Order: sequence, then C-alpha cells, then structure tokens
Amino acid sequence: MRKIYLLSFCLLFVLQIASAQQSNVKLISGNFQQATIAQFVSELESKSNFHFYYDPIQFDSLRVTLQVNDKPLEAVLDMAFKNSDFHYAITPQQQVFLTKGRQIRTELASGFMQATPGNAPVKQTTTVVDYTDERDKKVPEATTENKLYEIGAKTNAIKSGNATLSGYIRDIKSGEAVTGASIYIANTKSGVATDRFGYFTITLQRGRHILNVRGIGMRDTRRQIILYSDGKLNIEMQEQVNTLKEVKISADKVANVRSVELGVTRLDIKNIKQIPTAFGEADVLKVVLTLPGVTSVGEATTGFNVRGGAADENLILLDGATIYNPAHFFGFFAAFNPDIVKDIELYKSSIPEKFGGRLSSVLDITNREGNKKIFTGSAGIGLLTSRLNIEGPIVKDKTSFIFGGRTTYSDWLLSALPEAYKHSSASFYDFNLDISHQINDKNNLYLSSYLSKDKFRLNSDTTYSYSNKSILLKWKHNFNTKLFSLITAGVDRYQYNISSSANVVNSYNLGFDINQSNFKADFTYYASSKHTINFGLSSLLYKVDPGTFEPNGTKSLILPQVIAPEHALENALYLGDKFDVTDNLTISAGVRLNIYNYLGPQTIDNYALNLPKAAVNVLDSTTYSSGKIIKTYMAPDIRISARYLLSDDLSIKAGYNTLHQYIHLLSNSTSISPTDIYKLSDPNIKPEHGDQISLGLFKNAKSNTIELSVEGYYKRIRDYLDYKSGAVLLLNQHIERDVINTQGKAYGVEFLIKKTAGKLNGWMSYTYSRTFLKQDDPNAGELINGGAYYPANYDKPHAFNFTGNYKFSHRYSVSLDVAYSTGRPITLPIAKYQYAGSERVFYSDRNAYRIPDYFRSDFSLNIEGNHKIHQKTHNSWTIGVYNLTGRQNAYSTFFTEQSGVISGYKLSIFASPIPFVNYNIRF
Amino acid sequence: MYCRKLLLIIIIIAGCRKPYAPPAISTPAGYLVVEGIINPGPDSTIIKLSRTVNVSSKTTAKTVTGAVLTVESDQNGSYSLTDKGNGYYISTGLNLNTANKYRLRIKTSDGKVYLSDFETVLITPAIDSVGFNITATPKTGIQVYANTHDATNQIHYFRWDYDEAWRFYTKYTSNYISNGFTLIPRTPDQQITFCYTNDVSDNFVLGSSAKLMRDIIYQNPITFIPSTSEKIENRYSILLREYALTSNAYTFYTNLKKNTEQLGSIFDAEPSEIPGNIHCVANPSEPVIGYLGVSTVSSKRVFISNAQLPRWVPDYPYGCNLDTAKVGPGQIYHSLIADPEIFLATDGFPTFSPSLYLYTSRACADCTIRGSKTPPPFWK
Repeated sequence: MRKIYLLSFCLLFVLQIASAQQSNVKLISGNFQQATIAQFVSELESKSNFHFYYDPIQFDSLRVTLQVNDKPLEAVLDMAFKNSDFHYAITPQQQVFLTKGRQIRTELASGFMQATPGNAPVKQTTTVVDYTDERDKKVPEATTENKLYEIGAKTNAIKSGNATLSGYIRDIKSGEAVTGASIYIANTKSGVATDRFGYFTITLQRGRHILNVRGIGMRDTRRQIILYSDGKLNIEMQEQVNTLKEVKISADKVANVRSVELGVTRLDIKNIKQIPTAFGEADVLKVVLTLPGVTSVGEATTGFNVRGGAADENLILLDGATIYNPAHFFGFFAAFNPDIVKDIELYKSSIPEKFGGRLSSVLDITNREGNKKIFTGSAGIGLLTSRLNIEGPIVKDKTSFIFGGRTTYSDWLLSALPEAYKHSSASFYDFNLDISHQINDKNNLYLSSYLSKDKFRLNSDTTYSYSNKSILLKWKHNFNTKLFSLITAGVDRYQYNISSSANVVNSYNLGFDINQSNFKADFTYYASSKHTINFGLSSLLYKVDPGTFEPNGTKSLILPQVIAPEHALENALYLGDKFDVTDNLTISAGVRLNIYNYLGPQTIDNYALNLPKAAVNVLDSTTYSSGKIIKTYMAPDIRISARYLLSDDLSIKAGYNTLHQYIHLLSNSTSISPTDIYKLSDPNIKPEHGDQISLGLFKNAKSNTIELSVEGYYKRIRDYLDYKSGAVLLLNQHIERDVINTQGKAYGVEFLIKKTAGKLNGWMSYTYSRTFLKQDDPNAGELINGGAYYPANYDKPHAFNFTGNYKFSHRYSVSLDVAYSTGRPITLPIAKYQYAGSERVFYSDRNAYRIPDYFRSDFSLNIEGNHKIHQKTHNSWTIGVYNLTGRQNAYSTFFTEQSGVISGYKLSIFASPIPFVNYNIRF
Repeated sequence: MYCRKLLLIIIIIAGCRKPYAPPAISTPAGYLVVEGIINPGPDSTIIKLSRTVNVSSKTTAKTVTGAVLTVESDQNGSYSLTDKGNGYYISTGLNLNTANKYRLRIKTSDGKVYLSDFETVLITPAIDSVGFNITATPKTGIQVYANTHDATNQIHYFRWDYDEAWRFYTKYTSNYISNGFTLIPRTPDQQITFCYTNDVSDNFVLGSSAKLMRDIIYQNPITFIPSTSEKIENRYSILLREYALTSNAYTFYTNLKKNTEQLGSIFDAEPSEIPGNIHCVANPSEPVIGYLGVSTVSSKRVFISNAQLPRWVPDYPYGCNLDTAKVGPGQIYHSLIADPEIFLATDGFPTFSPSLYLYTSRACADCTIRGSKTPPPFWK
C-alpha cells in the first residue's frame, strides 16, 4: 500500500504542471447494480477521459448500486462513496486516485518547491492531514547503524525547537527489554537510560543526531536519526557474543559521573555469577555484601545492614513484590534464582520517591522477561541444589513466559552426619513464573509470581518452616511519548510455622504470617528536555497475624492462644522532579507523603503518660471495631540530590533524604530467623524514622573504563525498636511492654574503584563507618548500658573488599574475592561467680568488646564449553574454593558452663577451605 | 580436626566450635551475689553471699562474711539470720505470716546496705511424681522428669533443683588386703567393691504452665542420665526440690540460664544482663546478682533401680588392666604389700609356690577413693 502512495506521489511530482487546467466537465450516466470496483471503474473510464488508480485489494468489499443521469464525475463518486471510508482525488491530468481511509492531496504543500524566505516556519494548510501520525505508522525497528532514520512527520525544512523521541531498546535475539541501556548524544552531551521495561524517552533539538547506545552485555551501537517531530524509534541491540574481553559492570559508563543519584549500585547477573560463593551457586545477596557500606553480622545470616541500618530496614523487592525473608537454609542461599534474575539495584542514599516504607535501603531485584522468539532453558547442578529454567514465547514476539525452579537435596548429607545431627532434616524450594504480554505498542502486561518454602528440623522434635509467596500484575501504558504509567497490583505473603510433637501434653503448632495487598500507580512525565517528573501513589494494606499457638494432637493440653490480627493501611503520594538547571547542574527533588492508618478491630491498652509501658501502668483499654482508624501517622519524606559536573569526567554530588518505616522486625537473635516477629506501628509503638545527608565525588578515568568515587554520609535513626533484656517476643499480647525505642547514628566514608572493561575487571572498596545506638527513653524502665551510646551488632569500622575477574581466553576465566573487616562487637563476660551449684558469668555492657577481625578469600575458575553457536546445548563448569586460606573466622563467641567450669568458645562457619563445583547447561 | 574431616557436612549445621580465650578482662571490686530464698515455713532459710571474681581468676568465688542479714516484713516485722561462716547465713524455721510481704536487708562489713524488693509469699504445690523415660535419641539413656500441678491455679512458674545419690561398683573386686607383711583375704567389712556417692544439681531447671489451660506440669525434664553412666549401674536416688516462682523471678532465671548454660548456635540470643530484685541502697546502678523470692519448698525422693532399665554397659572412668605378680622380693610384691595406694590384689593363689596374685591399679578396685562405704541415711 505504501508503495502505491509513493508511486502516486512520484507521478504527481513528475506530471505537475505549473498552471492548473480547467478540468473537462463530462457528464456521466449509468446504472450500477452490485458492481465491483473493477466493473464500476471500467464503466466510468469508458464513459469519460479519466484514468483511475486504486488498489483492488482495498476495494474488494465494495459493491456499488447506483443510478445516475448526467452527473459530473465528482458527483458520481460522491454518491458511490457516500457514508463509506473510500475517498477519491482528481488531478488536472484527469487521473483519479481512489483510496481507502484517507484522501490523497493532489497538490504539493505550499512552499515545497521554494525555500521559505526569512526562515519563517512553514505554514501548513489546515487541510493537510499528517498521515505519518504515530497511531498508524509502524514504529521503525532500527537495526542498522548506517541508515538514517527519519522520526516524526517529515517536513521540508526542519523546524526549530525540540521534539521528543521515545521507544524501546530490545535484544534482537530474544526480544527482551534491555534495562538500563543508555543513549548518549555526544554533541549535546545529553543522555538517558532505559527503564526496567527497556523504555526510553529523550527530548532533543529537532534535526540530525547520532545516538550512541550502550547496554549491559550488549554490543555498543549507534543510530542516526533526523528528528522532525515527536516520534518513536525502537532499537534492537545485539548481545555481546563471545566478546569476553570486555565485560561491562555498569550499563552506563558515564552514569557514575553524570547521574544525579548517590549511593546507587546496579549489578548485572553476569557480574554476580563471577563471584565465588560457598556452594558454587551465584548468590545475589552475597554480592551485595561486597559493596561498600554494606555489612552483615556474619556469614550464613539472613539479611544485611546498609550504612548502619538494621536488617529489617531494607526493602527487598523482587519485580516489585516485597520479600520478607530473602534466604534459604539459615542464610546459606539467597532466595532468588540466579537463572531468572536479570539485575539488581541497591539504593543506599538517593532513594527514589516511588520507594518508601523502609529506613535504610532498597534492593530492587529484576527478573528477566522470557524469550519472545524461541524456547530456551538452562539447568544447573550443584552439590546441594539444582535448578532449572525454561522460557519461550506463548505468542511469538508478543507473549512470553519464564519459569524457574530450584530445590535442594541436602537431606542425604544430613543423614550422613554423626549421630548428634543425624535426625536433622532441611529442605527448600522456590519457583518463579513470569509472563509478559505486549498488547500493543502502548500497552504491556506483566504477571509475576514467586513461591519459596523452607522447612528444617535440627535434631529435635521441633520443626520450623517458612514461606514467601507473591503474585503481581503490572500494566504499563504509554499515554504518549512523554507520559507513561505503570499500574501494579499484587499480594505478598510471608509466614512461618513451628511445631513440636515431642511431649504429648505440650505438643503445639505456632504460626505467624504477614499478608500484604498492594497497589501502586507510578507515572513518569518527560515535561521538557530539562524536567522529568515522577508522580504517583502507593497503597499497602497489611494484615499481620502475630501468632497463633494451638494444641497439636488430641492429648495436648496447650491453651490455644491467638494474638489478635493487626491491620493497617500505608498510603503514600509522591511527586519528584529531575531538573537539569544547566548543562552542569542537575537537581532531583521530591517529596513523598506517607499516611499510615492503624485499623481495627483491635484492643489497645492505654498507658499512663510518662511512665514505663508496664502492666502496672495500664489505665484502661479501648476496643475498636473493624475498619475503624485507631491511629494515623502522617509524615512527608524529603528526597533531594544534586550533581554538579566539574568537568566531563568529574562531578560532585550531594543528597539529603528522610524516610519512615511502619513495620518493625523484632528479633532477639543476631540475624533474621524464623522465630522473629514483625510488628506494625500502633498507638503505643511509634514509626521509625531517619534521615541521611551524603556527599560524594565521582571521577571516571581512561575513557570511562575506570570509575572512582568517594562518598561520605551521616545518618540519624529515630525510634528503632529494640527489645528489653529477657523480652518475650513470640505470643506476647502486650509487646509494647517488652520493646524499647532506640536512637541511632551512623556515619562513614566509602571509597570505591571499579574497572569496567578489559581482561581484568572488578571492584575494590574500602569503607570506614561507625554505627551507634542508645536507649535514652526515660520511660523505658531499665536501660541498656544506662542509656549511653553503644556500637550496633553490625558496627564494623574498617571494611575492605576486592572482587575481580580475569579472562585468560574466551573459555577460561578466574575470579578472586577478598574480604576483610573489623570483627563485630560482642558482649563478653567480665566476671564469674558461683550460683546454684555452678560457676556462672556476668556480662559486660552490651557490645563492649569485639570478636577477632574477619578475613576471607575465595577463588573460582569458570570454564565455558566451546563457543559454536549452533549446538544443542552450551555447558559451563564452575570450580572453586570458598575460604581459600581456611581461616576460622569467628561467627560468634560464647561462654558456657559444662560440669561446673566456664569455658569460652568461638563458633566458626565455613571454617576450612570449601571446594565446590557447579555444572550449568543452557539449551 | 573434626570440622575439617566432615567438611561440608558439619558446617551446614554447626560450623566449627573451638575454645576461645577472650582478651584479658579485669573488673574492679567484685559484685555482690545473693543466693537462696526466704522460706516462710518451718524449714530453715539459708542465704549464701559471695562476690564475683575476674574471669581469668583461678579462684571461683569470694565468700562474704561478717555481713548482717535481716528478713523484714511490710508490717515492720524483723528476723535476723546468723552468720555461720563461709558466706552462709541461716535462720531456723521462720514460720512467717503468709499474708504479708517480705524482703531481705543485707549490711556488708564495709557498711553498704542492700535491700531486696518486697515479695509475696508463694506456697509451692507438692510434686506429684518423679519418673523417667528411656530414650534412644538423641542419646541413649534415661530422662528423669517431674509432674506437678497447682489445684489453686495460682502458681504458673517453677524452679527445681535436686540432690542425687547412687551406688557404684569398681571394675575389679579386691579380695585380698595387706596386713603390712603379707596379703590376707578381706572380711565383708573390708570390702571396697561398692560405694555410695552423691552430687548436686549444677543448673537451673525451670518450667511454666502459663500457656496451658490448666495448671499442670507434665513430664518436665529434670536431668538426663546417659546409659553409660555409673549413676544407674546399680541403684540411683534423686531428691527433687520444687520452688514456686513469680513471673519476674522466672524471667530472671530464664535469662540467667540462657546467659550461662545454653550453647551458642546460629539463632542464639545475645547475652544481656537482667537485674534481679536486690539493689544497693546508696548506688542503685551497682549490679547485684540474684533474685530473692519468698516461697515454701516441696520435695520428693525416688529410687531408680538398674533392673528397671535395659542392659546397658557402664563406662568405667579409668583404664584398667589385670596383671600377675609372683610373691617374692620385687617391686610389685612390695607395692601390693607395702603401698596399696598404687595396686591392689584382686585374686590370689597363695598355695602356689611361689604364690601368684592378680592385681590391678587402685582406681580399678577401690571404690572408697570416689565414694563412701556407708549408705546415706535415706538409703533403703
């Protein structure tokens, strides 16, 4: 069809005669009964001098029934095409063009043949319809570097001003979106990055540009465009097959210096897979621990601490779903399948307005989209776990799925244990199923679901199990090239269960769960080349069952105990603007208004003012009915960051942000364990809040292949919930009596050097940081350390990390990981005494001493199979050693009385070099 | 090394546990430690005072003598305890009015005054029974348990301690005794094959019925005796004492137990001190260790005979060998006659020429080095 139009236009051009002729008015008579277009046209051609041009396919549905007497051709055609979508155009050369849907203009636009004097904008007649409207025009798939793509409605002269270009960047092979790819326009020094759907939008001066496109694991490419008006361009990129010489760590080589955010790290799964882990399976949480500013209380613990925040102050999102327990098997494995994960992004300082509800950080884990073109899959076999993933199109190029599953078969190992551990068992599994569907160019649907479950019994009759479940539906809609939206709705559930059947009278089942329904609407509006506006709302409905304790078996005398479920609604509205003030200065400022409602049904104890929250100080209690708002906390979060470019490869950035948290983890062990409880803020438990100020210097060297940064921060934490000595957290009807508000401060400076290209790549970081807590609430009753500051469990002043990968050839590479940190603080016994027949110890102030320093190095060798592209399966081996030097790092120390004598012990995990091997297969 | 040999396997569960010597820590003057209860009944009230010592110190405790202890009631009653020396302060049956509350006043020889909080009198219910279960996992042996209940539904927290006594046998029987010149057969009075010994509990045993519908403690574990223990090779007796606790005292003991008795594992809580109910009047922030409750004591004694148990073989605590000695001049003969601290004859053939005697080390034939030949008064 397009060819016919083009041809028509060409003909018009050639046959154009300067002066218009008077058309021959020849009247036509005729009688048509159900005439086809061919019959109709030949009849008309025979009765006039006109010659008709048309596309028979377009007119195959047309039947003309008409009787005319001495009418001009125009009238005949008017009658024939009345109330239809068919049009005609008559030229002075007696040519008739029949079209469907749109009319052909038979004259050139005014000013087409001569340049408009004085650069005045071309004045278009209103009758001209711009058929290049994006609605009907297929967005060009720009696959070629050397072709010049025309964007928008072509005009003879390029108008002045700006226009917006938008589109998707996709992998040419799988059709998958390329996240975080950057488009950089050298001559204007401007650039953008694609979002998680591969979508980008950039406002440029109209005219000719060269777009330099770079993406994670993608071959760098460029596109040439002429931008006439707003338009779209989809760019397909090629995967960087076999170019192992250069593995990029950052998608955006200039982002380090140019982005406005501080304390943001993005890592691709390829980088994550290079890092050796204890059991050879790539672990997205382990890699987070190698980043500056992130610590943990020890190996094999769930959770991590970001810039002095507690483990529950991290929002861990898997494709937008909140994951409460991100680990399997006591923390030895991350709960995320490395074959499904695409990349992770950790926000330590500049947390975008769209995120909220946690105090310290956001770890945003994104899963891949399924391959839209062909069915593929992969499988991995390790010593303890195996995994499988399958993906492929459901409807080619439109709908795809990706499925991943992992499970463990560690029970065989446990049964090989000596008697003391023989009766233990442990198992876990997790599944992901994601479906993405492209409805049309403007609408995409994504369904993601996740299920994980752990179950273990440690040589006792008590069985522990926990599980995360979530399902999420996302709808991405592009209103136009400047405004797009993402609507998300889903449910997340975390639960654990402890059951015992050892003693018939005391057999019990204990359950805990959190149910969370969420709805989010995020909008991005590219207002102009200087302003990008984000706004939206989020709504979270919590239902927490803080504990059900029930008899297990008919003989059990356990008194069923159910702690009343808690309900709360956490709403937030946000608005943010990224403002490019000048070429060098960019400011991003936003506000997030949090509105938290604690809802009924609930009975709340009212305590006497200014007295400890204890049973003796209860005045009365109030019972609230279902849905009734018991308490509202409302507070704005402020998020500001700014970047000033000192030169092309050097920038200074500063940021300030505040955050609020309404759900608290109460744990009296050193790490997240499946006996911790989550508590919602209520009238007696205030929300946690905190703020952070940070400053950083960012530098790129050697044509952006080396990134250097120094960041400093100071952070305040208010009303963090800690427990009192001897607190009972499980099944506590009055938990507010056992917890205590803690104030914290954290500060530090982080140095990072990153090499992103070349045979040797990786990063090295050094962090000096301190974290202190104190309990100075005069109403708390007894105070830890008498209300003075004490170091937090995860206060590790010096931390050094090296993570590197060296490629010998396309098939062989080695990775080395080195970690050093100051030992974490502990509470040591300072005195001993005789009591109840035994020698016992008296402990120091909390965290007054430290365990020995931590040091560990890991090594791995990655062997790729041959690189023939056309083979049924591609395999690879990973062989390595975890804790190469076999250092027995103390995980914790403890003192215990045995036969009346107190002895100190240190507990080490991974206390010897641990070899591992992993076999991966891709099909 | 254990953990190296089992490599992957062990680290999964336990990692590696090694002795650890903390940096030298020294505290100033020791903190006061108060142990005991105020017994409002006819039984004696015994309070023991001591002070903490440095962890690295060789001595285990410093006793506090010369203090003045007085039990005070909230109705201004006052009852003195007598300093019996060695840190013990005793009063015979106080027979207090159970409607009142009581506390202890301690005035140490350096003039400092310590007061416990007023506590109500708790009447400890009787122990219903003490029994045992034969267990196969995680270890083979017997688990001694106690059953109790409170018909008044008022006591929900319990502490137990116990005294144990048992009869045990030597590996070999010494049938000959030296009279200084030669070896003569032992008379029944001279037998040293079986003896009686005893022990006291060295940990807290705690229990609670707070979560149950009725105030019943069913088979609360008291102590575990491995199948290889000498305690149950013949006959064993346990005297169990039960103390009623308030919920605060229970919390205190639970925390103390957690801090000092439980092993380190991945999920273990951090140690943190929980103050008891005794305070220094002049300096309330001075740590004082101990929780002084006011309660009666219930006790019950039971016997467990080896006949009630499966055929288990006890582990003898010493390595034992039998050897033959020829009578005649020589070191071994000399030892058997003159120095029975080393060797004892178990069997003999004095009519042989030269005479032959079988002998073993004293530890393998003389029970009196570890126990007493006299049965305890309660043994029947």
